[in-house]
Amino acid sequence: MKKIAILVLALALSLPGLGFSQGKNEATGETAKVFSVYSDKRSPDNHYIPSGWMGDYGDIKLNDQFMENPHSGTTCMEFVYTAKKSQGQGWAGVYWQNPANNWGSKKGGFDLTGMTKITFWARGAKGGEVIQKFMVGGIKGAYADSTAVEMGPIELTDTWKQYTINLAGKDLSYVSGGFGWVTTSDLCPNGITFYLDDIKFEADPSIKPESRKQETMPFYVYSDRSSVKNHYIPSGWMGDYGDIKLDTGWKEDPYLGDSCIKIIYSGKATQGARWAGIFWQNPANNWGTVDAGFDLSKATKVTFWAKGEKGGERIEEFKVGGIMGEFSDSDSAGIGPVVLNKEWTQYTIDLKGKDMSYIIGGFCWATNVDVNPEGATFYLDEIKYE
Amino acid sequence: MRLSMNRLVFGLLGNKVAAGRRVPILVVCSIFFSMFFLGLGWARPKPKVFIRTLKNKHYELIVEGKPYFIQGVCYNPIPIGKNHEYDWWSDLARPWMVDGRLMKDMGVNTIRIYQVGQNPESVRQVIRDLYQNFGIRVILGHWLGFWEYPCPLYGDKDFQARIKQEVLDMVKTYKDEPGLLLWILGNENNYSCAGMVNPWSTPEIDKEPDPIKQKQMRFELYYSFVNSLAQEIHKIDPNHPVALGNGELIGLEVANKVCPDVDAVATIIYRGKTFGNLFNSLRATFDRPLIISEFGADCYDAYLNKEDQNMQAFFLESQWGQIFNNRARDKNGAGNCLGGTMFEWTDEWWKHKEYDPDGWSVHDTESFWSNGSYYFDIQAPKNMNMNEEWFGIVAISPEIEQGINKRIPRKAYYVVREFWKNPQKQKLQKKNIKR
Repeated sequence: MKKIAILVLALALSLPGLGFSQGKNEATGETAKVFSVYSDKRSPDNHYIPSGWMGDYGDIKLNDQFMENPHSGTTCMEFVYTAKKSQGQGWAGVYWQNPANNWGSKKGGFDLTGMTKITFWARGAKGGEVIQKFMVGGIKGAYADSTAVEMGPIELTDTWKQYTINLAGKDLSYVSGGFGWVTTSDLCPNGITFYLDDIKFEADPSIKPESRKQETMPFYVYSDRSSVKNHYIPSGWMGDYGDIKLDTGWKEDPYLGDSCIKIIYSGKATQGARWAGIFWQNPANNWGTVDAGFDLSKATKVTFWAKGEKGGERIEEFKVGGIMGEFSDSDSAGIGPVVLNKEWTQYTIDLKGKDMSYIIGGFCWATNVDVNPEGATFYLDEIKYE
Repeated sequence: MRLSMNRLVFGLLGNKVAAGRRVPILVVCSIFFSMFFLGLGWARPKPKVFIRTLKNKHYELIVEGKPYFIQGVCYNPIPIGKNHEYDWWSDLARPWMVDGRLMKDMGVNTIRIYQVGQNPESVRQVIRDLYQNFGIRVILGHWLGFWEYPCPLYGDKDFQARIKQEVLDMVKTYKDEPGLLLWILGNENNYSCAGMVNPWSTPEIDKEPDPIKQKQMRFELYYSFVNSLAQEIHKIDPNHPVALGNGELIGLEVANKVCPDVDAVATIIYRGKTFGNLFNSLRATFDRPLIISEFGADCYDAYLNKEDQNMQAFFLESQWGQIFNNRARDKNGAGNCLGGTMFEWTDEWWKHKEYDPDGWSVHDTESFWSNGSYYFDIQAPKNMNMNEEWFGIVAISPEIEQGINKRIPRKAYYVVREFWKNPQKQKLQKKNIKR
C-alpha cells in the first residue's frame, strides 16, 4: 500500500500540471499560493498556451524562448506587432488558453478560487509602447469563463516592470482564458515590440476587492490617434454602417495635437436604415454585454470640438451613455441637432444631475440622410469629460 | 392670526354664558367659526384622490384617505381578427369581466386606458363593472391628437381648441365615477417635438435657423398647451390628479418651466431590466411624482424564433422590483414613484400588419423594432428583437371561452403576482436576479 501511495505522490510531483489541474490541490483541498501561466519556455509550471491569436493575427510574431534579458530564468516572450492590419481589423491580441485554441467550445478551465491577483512583468523594446489592455478570463461559448477582468491601457517602459491585476472578489471558479493582451494600430501606428515574463496567479490575502474607482478628470474619449489617454473605441457602428468612413488619425488641421477624427457619411443608405452613427465603447463592441463601465461621477460636462467640411452639416445627436443591456449605462445625456460650422467650434454636453457612475458608451454621434441628402464630412477632436 | 381669532371666538362665548337659551346656538356658532378660521373643517375638503408630499419629500398617492400604490396594467383587449378601431367597450360578451377576475386574483388594482371609447354609456359600464366587482380603478387618458394625420399641430389654435374640447368633455363625463383614479394627458407626444415621430412645426418655428432652438420652441408650445389643459381640468374636477404622459424624460426640462399645474409625470420606459437613473433624473429635471405608465417586455425570442415566457417574466420582475424600491417611505430609493401600469394585459394580434385584415388573425412573429436593452434576443437578424404582438402577460387563444378569446396567463402573470404578495421578501431574495 505504501509503495502505491509513494508512486501516486511521485506521479503527482512529476506532473505538477495534473496535481493542481483545478488550481486546488485535490489531495489536500488546499489552494496553491501561486499558479503559473508562463514562467519559462519549458517550465512544467506553465498552465496555459498562447494560442488564441485575435484580430490582425498576421501582424503578430511570437518568440516564446527569447533569451536576451529575460526578467527571470532563461527565457521570456517576445511579441512583435507590426500594425499592418493584415486582416483589416485594426487591432490584434493573444489569449493564453487551456487547452490550446479553446474558445469556450471545450471544457478546460481551471478552478482558481482563492487567487486574488495576477502579476506579470513587461517591458517595451524602446519604451512608450502602448498595450490597450491586459485581461484575465472573458472567453465566451458553451464553456464560458466565470469572470472577465481587464486593465489598461498601459504604456510600457524600456525596463522590466511588474503589473498587477486585482482579482479579489472575482469568481475564478472556471478560467480557460488565463491571460491575454490586446492593442490597436491606432495606439501603435508604427508597430511595437514588447516582452512578457513571469505571468502568474497569486493567493495574496492582503489584496481586497477593488471598488470601482472614480476616474479623475479630464477623462479623454479621444485626444490623439495614438494617445494612451484614449479610453473608448469607436466600434459601435450603427444604422447604415456601410455609409461611414472613419479615420481616427487625420493629420490635416487638427484642433489640437497631431491628429483628429475625420468622418465621411455618404448618405447612400447602404443598409436601408437611412441613418447612421458610431458609439465609442469600452471595450470594443460592448453593447452592455461586458461589465466594463467607467465611473465618471466626477464629470460635470463633456466637451468636444467639431467642424464640418463645408459648414452646414447637420448631426442629429451627440450623446454620452445610454447603452442598455445586461450591464447598462447609468444614465445618458446629449445635445442636438447640431449644425456644424466650417471652423472648429467647441460643444458641451451638460452632465449636471446625471448619474455617470457607470458608462460603457463614452460618446456617440448619429445623423440621417433626410437632413444630409448629399452626405456629410465632418471632424471631431478633443472629446473629453471634465 | 389663527390663535387670536380663536381667542376672540372663545371670548365671545364667555360673555354670553349667562344668556341661558342662547348658549347652544352660540356654541354651534363658535364651533363653526373656529373650524372656519382654523381651516379644519368645511373650508376645503380633501380631494378624493390626491398626492401627498411627505416630510422627506417622498410622494404618496392617497385615495379616499389611504395610501394607494398603483399595481397596474395597460388594458386594450382587442380580440383576434379585429384591429384598434374595434369598439370593445360595447362587446356584449363583456371581456373585462373575465379579465377583471383574473386581474383581481393577480393583485392588479388599476388599469390604464389610453383613450376612452366613443359611447359614454359603454365606457361608464366598464368602469363601474371593474370597480364594483373587482375593486379595480381606472386611469383614463387622451392621445391629444398625437396620431392625427398628417401630424398633430400643437401650434395651431383651432387644433388646440378642438383637442381641449374633447379632453374637457371626457373629464365632465367621467369625473364622478367612483372607479376613476386619475387622468393622463398624452402618451409619447413629446417625441413629435423632438422630431422623432409625427414631426410638426409652425411658420414661426420654421424661421428659426438653429434646430436646437426649434426643438425648444416646439416643446414650449406643446407643454404649455398641456398645462392649460391641466388648469382647466382642475377647475372642473378637483378630485383627481392630472399626469403628463411622456416618452422617457425627453423635454421635461422645458415642462419644468411651463407646467406648474401638472400634478405628476406618467412615463413610457423601455430600458430592459433596469430603469437606470430614471427616478433621480426626474427629481433633477421636473420634480413631480412618477407613474411608470408603460413598461414591460415581450415574450417572443426573435433570435431563437420561439416564445420565451421566462424572458418576459425575468424583465417584469426586475422592473417591478425597481418600482417598489422607489416608492414613498422606502429608505433606499428616490421615493417619487406612485407605481406603474405594465404593458400590457393581453396580446394584440393586429399590430404588425395593422391595415391588413388578414394579418389581424395571425399572431405575427416578425419584429419591427429594435431595443438592445432586451438583450437576450438582440442577436436576431438586423437586431430586430421586439415583437409588438407578444407583450401580453396573458395570451389569447382563437378558442372561444365565455364568448371571448380564451385567456391563458403567462409565467409573468404568476411571477408578478408572487412579487406583489410580498415585495420586501422578493427584494431580499432577488438581489441577483438571473433569468
